[in-house]
Amino acid sequence: MPLSWILLVIFAIAAAGFWFGTSRVLKSVDQNVRALHSLPSYYGGNVSMWVLVPSLGVLAFWSLAQPLFIESRIAYLLEERMSNQGVTLGLMMTEVRRVADGLDSAVTENVMTTEEARSMRVELTDIRNRLAEVGVALGANVTAPIVHAAQQYHQLSATGNMFKSITVIALALAGLGYALLRTTKDFRARNAVERGILAILLFAAMIAIMTTVGILFSLIFNTLEFFKIYSIANFFFGLEWAPSFSGRGGSSSLSVIPLLWGTFYISIIALIVAVPVGIFSAIYLSEYATPKVRAFAKPLLEILAGIPTIVYGLFALLTVGPMLVTVFGDNTVGWMSGGTAVITAGLVMGIMLIPFVSSLSDDIINAVPQSLRDGSYGLGATQSETIRQVVLPAALPGIVGAILLAASRAIGETMIVVLGAGAAARLSLNPFDAMTTVTAKIVSQLTGDSDFASPEALVAFALGTTLFVLTLALNVLALYIVRRYREQYE
Amino acid sequence: MYDLPHARSDVINSDCKISARNVQLYYGDNHAIKDVTANIADKTVTAFIGPSGCGKSTFLRCINRMNDTIDNARMEGTILLDGEDIYDSKVDPVQLRARVGMVFQKPNPFPKSIYDNVAYGPKIHGMVRNRSELDELVERALRRGAIWDELKDRLDEPGTGLSGGQQQRLCIARAIATEPEVLLMDEPCSALDPIATAQIEELIDELRQNYSVVIVTHSMQQAARVSQKTAFFHLGNLVEYADTGQIFTNPQDPRTESYITGRIG
Repeated sequence: MPLSWILLVIFAIAAAGFWFGTSRVLKSVDQNVRALHSLPSYYGGNVSMWVLVPSLGVLAFWSLAQPLFIESRIAYLLEERMSNQGVTLGLMMTEVRRVADGLDSAVTENVMTTEEARSMRVELTDIRNRLAEVGVALGANVTAPIVHAAQQYHQLSATGNMFKSITVIALALAGLGYALLRTTKDFRARNAVERGILAILLFAAMIAIMTTVGILFSLIFNTLEFFKIYSIANFFFGLEWAPSFSGRGGSSSLSVIPLLWGTFYISIIALIVAVPVGIFSAIYLSEYATPKVRAFAKPLLEILAGIPTIVYGLFALLTVGPMLVTVFGDNTVGWMSGGTAVITAGLVMGIMLIPFVSSLSDDIINAVPQSLRDGSYGLGATQSETIRQVVLPAALPGIVGAILLAASRAIGETMIVVLGAGAAARLSLNPFDAMTTVTAKIVSQLTGDSDFASPEALVAFALGTTLFVLTLALNVLALYIVRRYREQYE
Repeated sequence: MYDLPHARSDVINSDCKISARNVQLYYGDNHAIKDVTANIADKTVTAFIGPSGCGKSTFLRCINRMNDTIDNARMEGTILLDGEDIYDSKVDPVQLRARVGMVFQKPNPFPKSIYDNVAYGPKIHGMVRNRSELDELVERALRRGAIWDELKDRLDEPGTGLSGGQQQRLCIARAIATEPEVLLMDEPCSALDPIATAQIEELIDELRQNYSVVIVTHSMQQAARVSQKTAFFHLGNLVEYADTGQIFTNPQDPRTESYITGRIG
């Protein structure tokens, strides 16, 4: 039974359970709702919960575990049969899976009977033709043992699927029965449903947290792998970034410092642009603008935040870069040789960050209590004195938090750098030079035909980990500052 | 204009600091203050009482033009401070507020040190030439605010960390530091416990020697304790304005009597 059918059956049982539960409990009190502990729908909901949760849980677990189990069985079988043919096990398993999938679809499309799929022996040409009919092309290296293994695979998963369907539907029915038995007028269905809702919320929170942990681990393992074949000292303290793409290894210099320098340089230029403009516009919007202007200008500013960064990248490449070249290029002062430079990317990234800084700062300035402004006006201060000496100091921790959040976005930004800053990793103080950042290099190290076991590819994970730690530290700092600020007024 | 027979004689004869003539105030279409005429005496505590929404706080805010900061507020009539129209176009509201200080309902110390809170007004008005003069001024203001002894060793701590009563006295000291002529207080004790309230009331009584104090209060006991004159507002009208003793013992208007005996409001 395919997965969608199983799900359909389970949900049908759950819907029926809801109806049964509701009507059963209503019948037990002769339709007198006041005699029940909870509203009738809670009883129905409780029954549905008992149908859905155990069966869906087992279904999810089984679907994940079954392929792992079958593959370990098949791998064992293959290893026994042909340990001396010089082909890696991984490649063979891929082949086995392809053939097994072919058999699966051949059976479902009625090109083959189940019996045929199982019994077919060594008539390889025949199998190749038959599978080609359902759109699965087999390579020449498909040998008899592989076909045999594939048949095993096919058979095991067919059996497994059957048992899975039976178990899951049986569990759904068992849940239905158990919950219906417990559905009496004194059963505290409302509390049971409440606990169920709590469990769902907890589960959702867990997914978010576990995913973060999972990402972290996948980064860390690959990073450790990288440090096995490349020295830590060279990575962190070397001064040169020069990967060789010959794939021979050994000749690459993979140091993070030039990339970090590029990241910081571009981010700092971006913040120099974004922070003053963002804060000033926030002050204007929150303190001076009339409600009409504000209602119009604030969404307009926030539109900037919704523009995809690749569009900013194009803006940098096609507009800002050439414009800067006409001002600083060879025709005038000759500081700038090409449109792609630190300053191009930094300016455009700054524009990208303006709404980020201004929107957060605006919220924070608005959160400063009106009583403080009144207090200052009451002492004879003007509006700008009040803003400078009372409102901004009160909002400062929050604004610093906003700036740090903007900084961590700047550090993680990729597309603007790829298009605006160039690809040369270099340590230079000249803002008109092309440079590159950690994120841009992660992309370039992982795209193309790279061998995942080479240091040139694995370095991307080390770079990713470095970046992750940096932005995490910035975010933690920002949240800490913002939280301290919150405590002051609540 | 002369429909307030009880409010006339003695008020006009005393040393008059503030004189309001036919004051009307609108919030948009809402007529919040209806033709209020009153004189407020110097070196006296004047209490404004009345039910919520009667316009007493609004009228208070007219006296230092705080209503200017509200967009849709519109005022008519004149208010004279020492015979000078404060709504005249020559008068800068910012300068006016330095002469007419204000203390608010909720203590609102700035998120600065205690010292900087008090020094804020003198600094923006350029009242001192050097640090030692400022030190003296801060000490004088805190002493008059009856809080110097409690705070003299912790002037560098943030003003927001004080207790509610201390915060409010700090705000009063902050208002005094700019050396105003009139001190307006908008329910200064409504967020405080009885002990802090008693301290503030004692302080108000002392302030009377130097300033004209106007206090808005919901507590009639408080009005009776601290004030010499009392004005009763109802639905935007100034109903009765006389000596405090007379208002509480022998009110002339039936509405005043109903309010102080607890039948309306």
